[in-house]
Amino acid sequence: MHNRTIQIQLGVGALLASGFLLLVAIPSWVSSPSNVPNIILSPLFWPNTLAGLTGLVGLGLLLTSIRSPKPLEQAPSDVDNRAAAYVRLFAMAVIMGLTMFALPRLGMVWTSMLAFASVAFLIRTSHPVAALISAVVMPLVLYIFFAHVAGVAIPQGVFVRLS
Amino acid sequence: MSFVDSLLAGLSLVGNFESFLALAIGVAIGVIGGAIPGLSATMAVALTLPFTFTMQPITGILLLLGVYKGGIFGGSIPAILIKTPGTPASSATVLDGYPLAEKGQAGKALGMALWASCTADVISNLSLILFAGWLASFALSFGPPEFFTLILFSLTIIAGVSGESLLRGALSAMLGLLLATIGLDLVYGTNRFTFGDPNMMGGLNFIAVLIGLFAIPEILAMVWNPRSHEGTTRIIGKNWVTFSEYKKSFKSIVRGSFIGVFLGSIPGIGAAPSAFLSYSEARRTSKNKENFGKGEIEGVAAAEAGNNGVAGATLIPLLALGVPGDVITAIIIGAFMIHGLQPGPMMFVLNVDIIYGLFIGLIVSSVFLFLLGSVAIRGFKYVADIPRGVLFPAVLILCVYGVFAVNNNIFDVGVMFAMGWVGFAMLRYRIPAAPFLIAFILGPLLEDNFRQAMLMSGSSPAILFRGPITWFFWAVTAITVVAIVHTGIRATRKGLDQHKENEE
Repeated sequence: MHNRTIQIQLGVGALLASGFLLLVAIPSWVSSPSNVPNIILSPLFWPNTLAGLTGLVGLGLLLTSIRSPKPLEQAPSDVDNRAAAYVRLFAMAVIMGLTMFALPRLGMVWTSMLAFASVAFLIRTSHPVAALISAVVMPLVLYIFFAHVAGVAIPQGVFVRLS
Repeated sequence: MSFVDSLLAGLSLVGNFESFLALAIGVAIGVIGGAIPGLSATMAVALTLPFTFTMQPITGILLLLGVYKGGIFGGSIPAILIKTPGTPASSATVLDGYPLAEKGQAGKALGMALWASCTADVISNLSLILFAGWLASFALSFGPPEFFTLILFSLTIIAGVSGESLLRGALSAMLGLLLATIGLDLVYGTNRFTFGDPNMMGGLNFIAVLIGLFAIPEILAMVWNPRSHEGTTRIIGKNWVTFSEYKKSFKSIVRGSFIGVFLGSIPGIGAAPSAFLSYSEARRTSKNKENFGKGEIEGVAAAEAGNNGVAGATLIPLLALGVPGDVITAIIIGAFMIHGLQPGPMMFVLNVDIIYGLFIGLIVSSVFLFLLGSVAIRGFKYVADIPRGVLFPAVLILCVYGVFAVNNNIFDVGVMFAMGWVGFAMLRYRIPAAPFLIAFILGPLLEDNFRQAMLMSGSSPAILFRGPITWFFWAVTAITVVAIVHTGIRATRKGLDQHKENEE
């Protein structure tokens, strides 16, 4: 992406975020007692100030983007196939979501093994055997360290439990 | 307590096998982490942090400081051998290091990088020992208005110099400050963006945010482009740096070290600008200035001295004022907090043994860096050969275990994943992540000091200008903003002129 495009998108994003915070998020999700003696000491003051400043920064980004030169040509892509890259990112988001779902159910060790193997597959590892071995060994080694050395209660899940 | 008493107290704390072993392991992890392109010293420190929870405070912190020191040097190895800086701080090392490697003199360049790094490290550590105590005793007189203006200055400079533009840095800092408002209000205890979830009431976990922001985006970047981080490794060659070459570059090394100390002690500037400034000063004053950029050994020495000179000095604002100087010290402040320690002037009164223990440990770390660095240079081939398709999934699993271990809470793992996507978006939009993290850490402190100052003065803002210390911080903040805006305007004008020339 060209610098000018980035500045415009960031400026618009910051203005929208500021508007959302000032008009929706802060009134809805920040509570303040009614007997606050001075507005400066209110729990609302700091979030409102920051939201306002974010809007100002957004405005600044938009103004500077106007002064930036218009790009003469399309910015070169950093990947060969953008569509495939977006599919991989989506798959990664699914892996993260499934990891969160599986952690309390399968336990951290088994979930980590599956997550390791799927990420290695996703990034098209050139060493599949090493990746599979590591997918099994590494979560077990980390389990031994954290559960038996550091005394952390690693989630065990409801199916197969480790000692 | 006299100096000798403090020194002995520190020695009694670190004068054991466990502490030195932690330091040596830390340096080794750092060198390896820094040497793997895509991992960086920052990620190495962040990933090591969860392993320190069960250690004694001093042992854990020494381990992290070892990783920091090792990581900064480690970054120079791939910078020289594969033209890919392991850490941003090593970018200047590429300029002359890689041309030397192309000439078959990689061993010479790496040797000089190690010698310059160790020299700068010693100078930086001595500066820390000399100045931190003095600054802390001065900072004991700071009240809430002084701390408010100091933090404001730190955030301004971090936002201004971290990325390509002040505005993007400021946006990053604003987002960090906004994220820090999540949780219960500091004065009234009312809810702020907690959505009734008890997990959110204490605010977002700092470790989850930092690992999410600095480790997960690298994994996502790998998913985005699995062919990144590929390069051709140059052979080390039989040439090794000689003492006469070191002597010839000594002036540049010392100058670079002091540049590093000066810039490192100002919160927010970091190692990369210091390395470039040191490099350009060496080129300006060298007799071989035309050889710079083509494989000049003095260029490697200056760049490495510049970035390693920062390593000890960034601990000056951290230990003396409680303000992290860069992202890595922001992570280290997390280690202090986890062990119930609050860096700042009071630490020099209440935990003087830990302070002096750290000083002793830092001096010893330079020796470990020299010994382990020499081994690492020869072993880089094995590190470079670690398949990325195994390394990055391993990093992900390390992150999951590490973040969970902080509070035994799966919610934190979710926060880490969410912050990973935020970090990746920031990476794509070239928004610097450092102001975000440092603002997230300093946010509650900034707000707390502001509100305390307002309570003290009956809500009169005049208290924020109450004396010479606050005037000084307001003045340097204003100077920083003016300087950065001025530089930005000049860069935009230059870009416009260049654009016009291209159109013609």
